[in-house]
Amino acid sequence: MPAMRPLALSLALAVALVSPALAGVKIGVVTSASGPIALVGIPQKNTVPLLPKTAGGETIEYISLDDASDPTATVTAFKKLVLEDKVDAIIGPSGSPNALGVIGFAAENGVPMLAPVGSASAVLPMDAKKKWVFKTTQNDGLVADLLVSHMVKTGVKTVGFIGTSDAYGDTWAKVLKDAAKAKGIAVVAEERFTRQDTSLMAQGLKITSKSPDAVLIGAPGSSSVLPETTLVDVGYHGKIYQTHGAALQEFLKLGGRKVEGTILAGSGMLVLDEIPDWNPAKKIAVDYIAAYQKLYGVKPATFGANVLDAGLLLEQAIPDALKQGKPGTPEFRAGLRDALEATKELVGAQGVYNMTPEDHSGFDVRGLELLTVSGGQFHLLK
Amino acid sequence: MRRLLASPVTGIAAAVAALGLMSALLTPYQLTLANNIGLASLTVLGLVLLTGVAGMTSFGQAAFVGVGAYSAAVIATVPAANLPPGLSLLAGSPLGGLLLGLVATVIVASVLGAVTLRLSGHYLPLGTIAWGLSFYYLFGTTELFGGFGGISDIPALHLAGLTFSDAASLYWLIWGAVILAVLVTANLLDSRSGRAIRSLRGGQLMAESMGVNTFSAKMTAFLVAALFAAVAGWLYAYTQRFVAAAPFGTQAGIDFLFMALIGGVNRVPGAIIGAGVVVVLREWLQDVLPHLFGRTGNFETIVFGLAIVVILQKTPTGIAGALARLVPKRLWRPQARRRAVGELPRRYMPLPGEVVLEADSITRRFGGLVANNEVSLSVASGEILALIGPNGAGKSTLFNQLSAVDRPTSGEVRFLGRRIHGLTARSLAANGLARTFQHVRLIRGMSVLENAAVGAHTRGRNGVLASMLRLDRAEEARLLAEAAHQLSRVGLGDQLAIKAGSLALGQHRLVEIARALASDPCVLLLDEPAAGLRFQEKQALARLLRQLKAEGMAILLVEHDMDFVMGLADRIVVIDFGETIAAGTPEEIRVNPAVIEAYLGGAE
Amino acid sequence: MNGQIALMLGQDGMTSGAIYALLALSIILVFSVTRILLVPQGEFVTFSALTMAAMQSGRPVRLGVLVFGLALVALAMDIVAERQRHRRWTVPRTSLALAAHGLFVVGLGLSVPFDHLGLLVQIGFALLTVVPLGPLIYRVFFQPIASAPSLVLLMVAIAVHVALIGGGLLIFGPEGARTEPFSDSVVQLGPAIIASQTLWVIGVSAALTVALWLFFETSLWGKALRAAAFNRLGAELVGISPVFAGRTSMTLAALIGAVSGIVVAPITTIYYDSGFLISLKGFVGAIIGAMSSYPVAALGALMVGQAESFSTFWASSYKEIIVFTLLLPVLLWRSLRQPSVGDDE
Repeated sequence: MPAMRPLALSLALAVALVSPALAGVKIGVVTSASGPIALVGIPQKNTVPLLPKTAGGETIEYISLDDASDPTATVTAFKKLVLEDKVDAIIGPSGSPNALGVIGFAAENGVPMLAPVGSASAVLPMDAKKKWVFKTTQNDGLVADLLVSHMVKTGVKTVGFIGTSDAYGDTWAKVLKDAAKAKGIAVVAEERFTRQDTSLMAQGLKITSKSPDAVLIGAPGSSSVLPETTLVDVGYHGKIYQTHGAALQEFLKLGGRKVEGTILAGSGMLVLDEIPDWNPAKKIAVDYIAAYQKLYGVKPATFGANVLDAGLLLEQAIPDALKQGKPGTPEFRAGLRDALEATKELVGAQGVYNMTPEDHSGFDVRGLELLTVSGGQFHLLK
Repeated sequence: MRRLLASPVTGIAAAVAALGLMSALLTPYQLTLANNIGLASLTVLGLVLLTGVAGMTSFGQAAFVGVGAYSAAVIATVPAANLPPGLSLLAGSPLGGLLLGLVATVIVASVLGAVTLRLSGHYLPLGTIAWGLSFYYLFGTTELFGGFGGISDIPALHLAGLTFSDAASLYWLIWGAVILAVLVTANLLDSRSGRAIRSLRGGQLMAESMGVNTFSAKMTAFLVAALFAAVAGWLYAYTQRFVAAAPFGTQAGIDFLFMALIGGVNRVPGAIIGAGVVVVLREWLQDVLPHLFGRTGNFETIVFGLAIVVILQKTPTGIAGALARLVPKRLWRPQARRRAVGELPRRYMPLPGEVVLEADSITRRFGGLVANNEVSLSVASGEILALIGPNGAGKSTLFNQLSAVDRPTSGEVRFLGRRIHGLTARSLAANGLARTFQHVRLIRGMSVLENAAVGAHTRGRNGVLASMLRLDRAEEARLLAEAAHQLSRVGLGDQLAIKAGSLALGQHRLVEIARALASDPCVLLLDEPAAGLRFQEKQALARLLRQLKAEGMAILLVEHDMDFVMGLADRIVVIDFGETIAAGTPEEIRVNPAVIEAYLGGAE
Repeated sequence: MNGQIALMLGQDGMTSGAIYALLALSIILVFSVTRILLVPQGEFVTFSALTMAAMQSGRPVRLGVLVFGLALVALAMDIVAERQRHRRWTVPRTSLALAAHGLFVVGLGLSVPFDHLGLLVQIGFALLTVVPLGPLIYRVFFQPIASAPSLVLLMVAIAVHVALIGGGLLIFGPEGARTEPFSDSVVQLGPAIIASQTLWVIGVSAALTVALWLFFETSLWGKALRAAAFNRLGAELVGISPVFAGRTSMTLAALIGAVSGIVVAPITTIYYDSGFLISLKGFVGAIIGAMSSYPVAALGALMVGQAESFSTFWASSYKEIIVFTLLLPVLLWRSLRQPSVGDDE
């Protein structure tokens, strides 16, 4: 059958290209490098070459897959990594719904999963499945508490919310309501928009008409800009808060003068010059940013650092896990999970991790800084 | 042995054996891929029916998958107390989730179909893009559906005492559903209702003139396609055990259509081939493309987009079409048909000499142009009336008004003594008016027999469900026997199984006549039936028409071949510039100076 | 809601509606001449906006590579077609010129520091880069199947859209972009404050609409296009080739899209995949105009803008649902007006 030959050949080629080297620890990475949340996934995928190459004397091999922001593809990618490539742990996926869809599968197969997603629902409430999941970002609730505390301190009584029509906006609407309720602030407006909307005038007017003392914008990446510039344009004069989704250079560039005075919570990565040198995270962040910039010519968004920290967590856990078994065995994976859970004072690019059986996000407020924008730059809020 | 090869039982047995072999050979991950392929096949199968067979298209199939998936997820996870009243009975029951999904799909598809299917072709795809988008946001904003975060922790599927919790067990469930859907689709296509859907490809005018309700044929295809997608959604929910809005957006709807196009949009196996190729290729491209280009990005979408363009430009029948051309012709044989028991009931025929069809001072204006001016004619049972005139005389316009395709500006047409004003071509067909077309309208990909059987549409009763379940076989045998009988009357009795597209042009006209006769008409309108026929064929046709006349048929024919007309017609009406210039027997017409002037004067 | 809010919502809807109206016009133009439902119309908008943003931030303009690549394919297709038709090797002048132009925009785009040049130069170069995509897309993707059923043309249009989105992500990256406004001033109109850029949008749309009208009414090319739209075969018989009509209408569509992109880029954030939603709203307008009436479509598109603005104010999470559900009554109305049995094509 001559007609079959090219097909067979290409299949052989495919096998040759994907069949991994035999030695060492295998880590799968699943990111959304295309599709609607590509702006989160691309810096994460780009960070993979910067991850630790060895740990405990074993080489680490990374197998990186793109789920195109689609939860179905995330499940397929996880199954491929676990069943086919027999990875020892997985970093990813980028999106919260994508993560929720694979937790069950990761747990059933006993594969530790390091999810760089914001939504706390990936690790809370802790149960038999979620004990396999570790989160390398601050819990959204923690960030919200910090922002709301600042609101209280500055006399804010009412707050409006505008967020994206996706999982990110959903989560933030919820954590804001919880945090605000606890601190006695009323949420007087809740508006939504989609990233591709060309005008947010109507949402801006609606919020302004309720005259809240402050507005929180819950949107990832550059989609956080348009709500804020619109609010300024329609003459809103209150305080404007952003989530760590806005913590990227792009925000300053797109927003220009209109985002001056914004208050946001984010990791110290953005204000390295103002972080004292004794802060251990500073060196890691400086090195990471320099390496990333060298490779891609741009500075990474903080989403990328979430993946870097996942790699650092694994780097520290692998030597302990090796005592439990060889890479590729269930014992090794279980050991990896236990070691990750026992992480103490690990310094990442975004702060210091301390895991406990109850808390798999491991960040406390120390990893977070309140920032503001002035003179076209992020600065620590003094 | 040959019959055994073609029987559906062997087909199913072969499919099950193949599936069993696959399940033994595939790794767990490959089984997961196989399940993804099966789920996609189910949805794409609906698109094959909708796009390939019925000639419509939808970008909203993913939204129907979503309806099925969310129904399953909500019923499986939401406690009865939190469900809307009326649904609480179903809580926790997988079959209840399936039922809800199917009912919701029927409601949504009916509304969408009702507003778009009457409109010309491009409104349905545009409407489905819009509806696909709205549903994506509806899924994401509805509290009950868990917002954009979705619904997680769907329990494993328990059905009839069995648990379907891993890829291996779901594999059988999913592919069982695919086999069932393929069977049901094949049954549907090979039936009266299926021919009605397939006849849409010949133009709505033809289908309606054969008594087919084109709107309901379109709606049938649309509903079946939507229901397949909803079932796929139900299976999807239990396969992923998690449902969120993202996989049901417009992009996914576009992907399904791409699968259908790549696989072969007008063949049932195309659905499975397309789903398989796209799912596997996507996996493969993800591994290979970054290596080829040295960086990451959205290469897959570019490759798929361009592949679709190439396929549509070069081989619109997709992979399945290309494969079908490779398979030697002799392996294709018609299915063994059940012998017909009894005949179809015949119509009451008007008495000989009774006027059947009558035009009374018909005038038709198009803007300032008068196409027909005060034309009157009548044709009686057992009579052949010929309508002649130079090109552009207004014959076709008149023909369209006689068959209720067009409405006169003034004057009236009576059929069996009743004004046809306000009646449709379809209801005339049901009452015994049959016609052929000047520009032949056959379904080229359908066999000659099936083409003729479209004409017998109004003589059958069985509906979609009966055909899917093969409860229609007795009637179906009678319909096909009738079509075969009429084909042998026009001299094509030995060409039943040939594809209509491969006949000679003259034979196309004969098939059209057989199709018209299969409706058991009392009046036959023939538009240039002798054009393209060879001499012997013309003689045979004339014999047939005389015989029909002797049986009491009223025949009106438009024809250019003067010898044919003069030798056959009882009376002739001549029109020119939209007006009757002469009427009478062939002998009278032959010597009529006005006629000679019209024909010869125009020529010089 | 008070009067001032209503006024500002109306003004906002007017701005979006003006863009939708422009797109609806070019969608109808392309459809009536070629029967193509130009789904990739939105990509002209986003590509020109993102090209402007790239120039203003001092990055190289990489879109030229796409123009040059398509031009090379078009050139190859033309040479092969000529070979098949006349049995000799000739190089058709139009496609050679387009290829040369592609090389020109690649060269300039990658080397010239456009951020130091003025706004007018940037606009000029964005148009030079984006507009040739129109005729090139027609040549490469649609001309070989110009007489295919309109359903096939639609599917090719969708496929081209998908490929362009993938290309857009590669060329422009996932982050959104916005550009400098033409002027920063703010106009006080009664109680409402209007940014001057929104006046630019409305003004340019109106001017472009008038220009289109003049083009069709007075110029020879415009009349030829109208003839081709009215009766394809007839137009061909009197010497208006369908290829000419197709290329010209697609060039106009690309021009309209590119201009829209340039004027809206300062007031919004545009992403590589923003085009689909924008052109879809243009399609809603075009459907209201029954894919044939320019004035009704323009009016319909303006109504879509208003519906969008006001429905967002009432319930922003349901905005898209409301806007696209409004399509249903329009379709129903069209459906009831349709004669019972229309014949296709």
